[in-house]
Amino acid sequence: MSNRPELGFLRRVVLFKDVEDHVLLALWPSFRERRLRKGDVLFRAGDPGEELYLIKDGSIVVSKPVTGRVEQVLSRLGAGEAFGEMSLFGDERRRSATCQAETDAALYSLDRDSLSRFITGSPVAAAKFFQQMAQVAFKRLRDSSDLVAEVTRWGLEATGLDIEHK
Amino acid sequence: MSEGGDKVVDSRPKRTRIELLVREQDGKGFETREIASGVAYLHSRPQRIPDADWEMARLPYAPAGIVTYALKNRRTEQIIQITETEKFLWHQMDGRASLQEIATSYLLHYGSFDFEIIPTLLVKLLRADLLTMRPVSRLRAVLARNRRNPAARAMEGTLHALERLTVTSRRSHQFFERVYRYGGFVLFTPWALIALAIMVVVGGRSAIAIWHDLSEVTHGLARHPVVAILLVKIVFWLTVVNHQIIHALACVHYRRRVREFGFTILHGFIPTFYADVTDIFMATRRARIVNAVAGPLFHLFLGFFCFWLAAHLEPGLIQGFLAASALLQLQSFLISLYPFWFLEMDGYHILVEMVGVPTLNHDSVRFVRESLWRRIRSATWPTRQEAICLAYFTLSVASVAGFVLLNVWLLTRAGKS
Repeated sequence: MSNRPELGFLRRVVLFKDVEDHVLLALWPSFRERRLRKGDVLFRAGDPGEELYLIKDGSIVVSKPVTGRVEQVLSRLGAGEAFGEMSLFGDERRRSATCQAETDAALYSLDRDSLSRFITGSPVAAAKFFQQMAQVAFKRLRDSSDLVAEVTRWGLEATGLDIEHK
Repeated sequence: MSEGGDKVVDSRPKRTRIELLVREQDGKGFETREIASGVAYLHSRPQRIPDADWEMARLPYAPAGIVTYALKNRRTEQIIQITETEKFLWHQMDGRASLQEIATSYLLHYGSFDFEIIPTLLVKLLRADLLTMRPVSRLRAVLARNRRNPAARAMEGTLHALERLTVTSRRSHQFFERVYRYGGFVLFTPWALIALAIMVVVGGRSAIAIWHDLSEVTHGLARHPVVAILLVKIVFWLTVVNHQIIHALACVHYRRRVREFGFTILHGFIPTFYADVTDIFMATRRARIVNAVAGPLFHLFLGFFCFWLAAHLEPGLIQGFLAASALLQLQSFLISLYPFWFLEMDGYHILVEMVGVPTLNHDSVRFVRESLWRRIRSATWPTRQEAICLAYFTLSVASVAGFVLLNVWLLTRAGKS
């Protein structure tokens, strides 16, 4: 395995962890580095989505608007995690949530065209990539359903409603 | 909370929290806040349905001597049976008092608290459609409804900005426990009272001595007016912090928890430090009174201490500053102990304990607004509680009016001179 730092970083990203070194090295020039200051909004729910992001450093908060300036925090993502794939591969090409930097952060972005070239040019690597993406998607689905249950329980506790005996 | 109460809570599933992201007014930044369901529950303001929609009657039969009432929803014809204590809670549920305040009123009124009574009653009332829940203040609700109006939007923004000035530590209890352990406990021994008495006598004599040289003292201040004002203000602010620390230490002394310590803009316009010592309501009546008195007594001590120091100095800025600070401390002592302001300061809490009307401020305003004219027209004698409410209201109105008139007089006098 090469000691190149970009390879070391991509290996930490779960989506690329099974992809061969030479494919990753070929893909690397397509990544664009992007830096965010604490509090910067990367994109908002409803924006058109054209890029997948990998977090090099820092923390990203994913949130969904609730009312006015208040949003529900859905998750926090840290170094080595990826996000933004839903608008690239999902049923809608728009961002489903808002992502913002909780700390100063460094990201790598990969646009739709580069990702398409990677998929068509390396089908075996793409299969491994999608296998990991499916696992990530299932985990996020599980986390979301846990959050729904948690928020429902919060609502019941906060209002004192006794549904069982109503 | 009692140990028994803790055990009950521990056996339940952990209360949930949600994490919210609140964006800044300009949209450039944000902060995240965790809100526990228990906190949201305690801050909810249950409101009974309009008075015309319900009626209550005492039931003629009282099995085992327990007085009960029938509470009827006139719209749905549903009737539930409630006890005397539940009737007390029902009357508190006017949409202005939070569940936390209602629980405090209950405790002060009955001297003990059953942790299940409020949730049980809420369920009963909700089933009979006798209740609506209010989550936020009326002002904020009105402002939120009128965001199209620039003035309402500006006011909402201002209130939000002021709220953001709140700095709070919820982990302050351990800190105050350490302060108490390493010396703070001395304040709650007879030695502290003896020291206070000595200081009042010694400082009182110094104050008389300073009074005789008043012109020299005031000249010291007048020569450096800006520095003098700044010094007096800064030191006064520091003593306000100390006042709150003393309350927190009193709370620790009676083995209760200091829930929060911080700085906030009270009612949106009064900058102040505060210690959340509401856990003291779970302690004895003596503990509550000691807690209320401890803060003002600190001002008394400091006031006479400043007089004593000032008397030993040569005329000049420092002497003038100490004398002015002493007067400010004594003024703080009197104001915080004076109960008739419509403000729930230390003196108010002591008064409430003495007369046994836990929601006196609220009750007195309600009595005057809703029942006083009816009483006058029917020419019937008020009950003891109504008489207390009327006296409190009258004295508070007189005090506020007197305070305003005094300040007007001082300003006009200063203008003429």
